[in-house]
Amino acid sequence: MLEIKNLSCGYDSKLILKDVNLNISAKEFVGIIGPNGSGKTTLLKTITRLLKPRTGGVFIDGKDVWQAGYKELAEKIAVVPQGFSGAAMSVEEFVLLGRIPYFDNFQFFETKKDMEIAEKCMNLTDTFKLKDRLMEEMSGGERQLTLIARALAQEPELLLLDEPTTHLDITHQVRILDIIKKLNREMDLTVIMVLHDLNLASEYCDRLVLLSGGVIYKDDSPENVLDYKIIEEVYKTMVVVKKNPISSKPYILLVSEEGKRR
Amino acid sequence: MRKRSLRWIFWILGLGIAVAGIGLWSLSVGPAQISFKEIIAFMLKGGSSTEYSILFDIRLPRIILGFAIGGALSLAGVILQGMFRNPLVEPYTLGISGGAAIGVCVNIVLRLNNSLGVLSLPISGFIGALLVVLIIYSLCVRKGILKIQGLLLTGVMISFVSSSLIMLIMSVSRREDLHGIVFWIMGSLEEPNWMLIKVALGISLLGLIVSYIFCFNLNAFSLGEEEAFHLGINVEKTKRSLFIITSLLVGFSVSVVGIIGFVGLVVPHFMRMFAGNDHRILLASSFLCGAGFLIFCDTIARIVIAPMELPVGVITGIIGGCLFIYALTRKQNVLGGK
Amino acid sequence: MRKEIALVVTLFFASLVYAGEDIPKRIISLGPSLTESLYFLEEEERLVGVTSYCLRPPEAQEKEKVGSVIKVSLEKILSLEPDLIVTTSLTDPKVIEKLTSLGIKTVTFPEPKNFDELCEQFIKLAELVGKKDKAKKIIHDTEERISFITEKVKALEKPKIFIQVGAKPLFAASKDSFMNDFIRFAGGINIAGEALEGLYSREEVLRKNPDIIIIVTMGIAGKNEKKIWERYTVLNAVKNNRVYIVDSYKVCSPTPLAFVETLDEIAEILHPETKGE
Repeated sequence: MLEIKNLSCGYDSKLILKDVNLNISAKEFVGIIGPNGSGKTTLLKTITRLLKPRTGGVFIDGKDVWQAGYKELAEKIAVVPQGFSGAAMSVEEFVLLGRIPYFDNFQFFETKKDMEIAEKCMNLTDTFKLKDRLMEEMSGGERQLTLIARALAQEPELLLLDEPTTHLDITHQVRILDIIKKLNREMDLTVIMVLHDLNLASEYCDRLVLLSGGVIYKDDSPENVLDYKIIEEVYKTMVVVKKNPISSKPYILLVSEEGKRR
Repeated sequence: MRKRSLRWIFWILGLGIAVAGIGLWSLSVGPAQISFKEIIAFMLKGGSSTEYSILFDIRLPRIILGFAIGGALSLAGVILQGMFRNPLVEPYTLGISGGAAIGVCVNIVLRLNNSLGVLSLPISGFIGALLVVLIIYSLCVRKGILKIQGLLLTGVMISFVSSSLIMLIMSVSRREDLHGIVFWIMGSLEEPNWMLIKVALGISLLGLIVSYIFCFNLNAFSLGEEEAFHLGINVEKTKRSLFIITSLLVGFSVSVVGIIGFVGLVVPHFMRMFAGNDHRILLASSFLCGAGFLIFCDTIARIVIAPMELPVGVITGIIGGCLFIYALTRKQNVLGGK
Repeated sequence: MRKEIALVVTLFFASLVYAGEDIPKRIISLGPSLTESLYFLEEEERLVGVTSYCLRPPEAQEKEKVGSVIKVSLEKILSLEPDLIVTTSLTDPKVIEKLTSLGIKTVTFPEPKNFDELCEQFIKLAELVGKKDKAKKIIHDTEERISFITEKVKALEKPKIFIQVGAKPLFAASKDSFMNDFIRFAGGINIAGEALEGLYSREEVLRKNPDIIIIVTMGIAGKNEKKIWERYTVLNAVKNNRVYIVDSYKVCSPTPLAFVETLDEIAEILHPETKGE
């Protein structure tokens, strides 16, 4: 459903992404990983049309994103940002903002349908009980869930997440990713997630796209991507790869300088 | 949510009634004592006595102009605060008032009033304001994108530059011109031309209606430009349009009444505190509250040391300043209490 | 013959009525000099409103106030039901426009640039109230007194004078102000006479080295300015202790009579040897 062809883009004179080709089908759960500066965020920005490609293009369901209307795109793609920096509002009001792409030209109030969808999304993310609380009062984990709820309210086909688990404790990391996984499985939601944490990416994603220096180094299942030779080559640090005894997914072990000498 | 719509409707009705009440009060006070009964009688039957003239030729135009300008400035303030996501932004931050002031100074010094008629003064002010708007806009657009932070800095710089230019003009001008310039800068709701008052009212109300097209855009904007974009908002078009709307509102207001400060800063703040941050309620309530506030301040300026009149900007500054400080301390308490 | 007499009589009465209609019965003055002038013209009975700045003559302070010179209350003015309003160039032009649009006769007297204009305005004011003859007489007397003074000082040496009308920044009385006339009539040379109105540099004053400095600012500011000048001991005026302060109220909005009084004072300052003549 998402096709990226020969994509090169960057800021000012510097090219960040060089000739990237990527094909993502519906219902896939893809993780974008790579070291800092490899172009992960730039890739997201190009998909959501914040950045214009120098060469190549991005296509959703066959249509060039730059040809699509603003609202049309918002109804297909929803982005979960890293944080909330808006004015004071309740969780419910915030989630309802996600319905904006669906408002008619002269619609002034949210329709009944809008309210129902917002409720459904809050229930899916277990945030309905927080609906009257103010956004700034939320804890980190609760806030992340409301951000997801808002994105879901856009009824997207594709959900993009930019580092959804940074700053969260392990309880919330697992909880949030479990919910996203469930949404992916049960609601046919295509998910693309940028992650720093390789182990979380391995545990949850069906497919990993490893970026390095603006090109795709490896695009395959976690078992094939998280090979110690590949990781050491890209991340330039020593790692050991083992298998998670319970989920059978690969996990990365880091070795400190001290640890190597022992 | 139905609860919320009901709350909004009551809020607007309440504000509307308050403004009407302030207007009536303003109509009935002044150095010439005219009783309420007489006012009602005049309104129903008309008349041509001195009292009638005082009410409808002197007080009423000021009330209407106060409504229009107070509303326009507050509306511009709330839109700018939404666009910049900065609560300290007010209509004059963009430097538009500086441009208008220069236009007016040039007009006075070149005596254009005499050659082009009495409307040339507000027109010069408006042209000056528009020129500044064009300068700011062209300085802040890069590759078709309007940089919001650039607007703020450029606006402040232009304010400084225009203050200096105005002082330059004042220092080489004749004494009579000096008075003209100072009068204008002090700000006054006294406007002899009914046509201008009607136009001001029209532009304010038009601004209010047009701004409602962008009420959802402004709500989305509060999350940041990128996020608003992700919600399907045409961010560039929104920025441009809002910039044009506020420039027109402020440029026009300043050309007609001079510089009246604080209205566009304090009123949106208060409305955010009491009505919430949703622009659907914020736009109209800021407009109404600003209108009432300015009428109120102008009335106080008229009566506090009658028959001497204070410049209305003095009253808006004092009352507005105190209210602002009160609002800040309340906010501190709320945060501190958590 | 009867027809002619009838015509003449009709015309006579018509002119009376016409003249009578012309004369305003309720006057409001928005300028201190105009107020004072009206008192000189013995129009004080018809004067129904003045500004808070109209302090001369003292009786004027008893009249109803309609505001300050800069900001007047339109309402108060209207409630006094005037049929003539006289204003200066200090009045807000919007107020003048509004009054005119309400159908009240409003006449503006811009600041006179010299003594001749001062007299012209005085006569114009007198015409408005039908006291032209009286005005002419006052002017005549004034002009006589002025000739007396100019004669007195004609043969005397003309000292160089600097008149300061503003502090911070330094403002001089240039040739476009009637203060220049004071100097002219009193037999002096205005060192700022060539400059266009406005800012003057202290350096220039030192260069031109006036014999006399006259400071026209009110109260404390005047004393401060005097102290500042006294620092420059190279100045002739300072050396000979000829730095004077003159009441600005008298100087800044005079009537012909006030003009002469001030001229007397200034002539004495310039030529102390003529004192008492």
